[in-house]
Amino acid sequence: MRFLECKTNNPAVWRFTFRFGFLSLLYAVFGVLSTCGLLLWHPNGVLTWLLAILPTIPIAGAVVLTGRYMSEEKDEFQRAVLVQALLGGIGATLVVTTVWGFLENYAHFQRLNILMIWPLYLIFVGIAYGLVKARYR
Amino acid sequence: MKNRLRVLRAEREWSQADLAERLEVSRQSVNAIETGKFDPSLPLAFKLARLFGATIEEIFTDESQG
Repeated sequence: MRFLECKTNNPAVWRFTFRFGFLSLLYAVFGVLSTCGLLLWHPNGVLTWLLAILPTIPIAGAVVLTGRYMSEEKDEFQRAVLVQALLGGIGATLVVTTVWGFLENYAHFQRLNILMIWPLYLIFVGIAYGLVKARYR
Repeated sequence: MKNRLRVLRAEREWSQADLAERLEVSRQSVNAIETGKFDPSLPLAFKLARLFGATIEEIFTDESQG
């Protein structure tokens, strides 16, 4: 994403990068909290549900943040690059997780930890962003 | 889409960064438009036209029109 591009004085980019970084950190913290909480405390009822979905809160936040950045970014080229990178990341994540899911179902592959999907998506978006930028260079 | 941005910019001795600043976009945007890899939106094309005191047709060439 934009944090791959070091030299920028665009305030929208800085806001987005800072907030996205914070949400990613929050995701890691909530992921640990959720996993440890469920394993150690063995909660019941609503608390189980709340702990289980805790890591999804920063993800929802990141989706909203991305939408907000799109409306704040005045540079249509940068917006177009990010949209293509996001599409690439979403597509790659969809393909990889679906393939893995079928392998789990029919080839007894090890279960893919759901917590890995967000980092996987970020890696794919990062790769796609680099490829899209290279195409326009 | 082909365009005369590089020529118009050179006539005024502007760098890509100078033009980017005037358009309030990134230098990469100017480079992508100039090399024909990215087609600007109508509002940005009008902004370019105003900046160079030309019409959109004088800057951009529609390649599909023989």
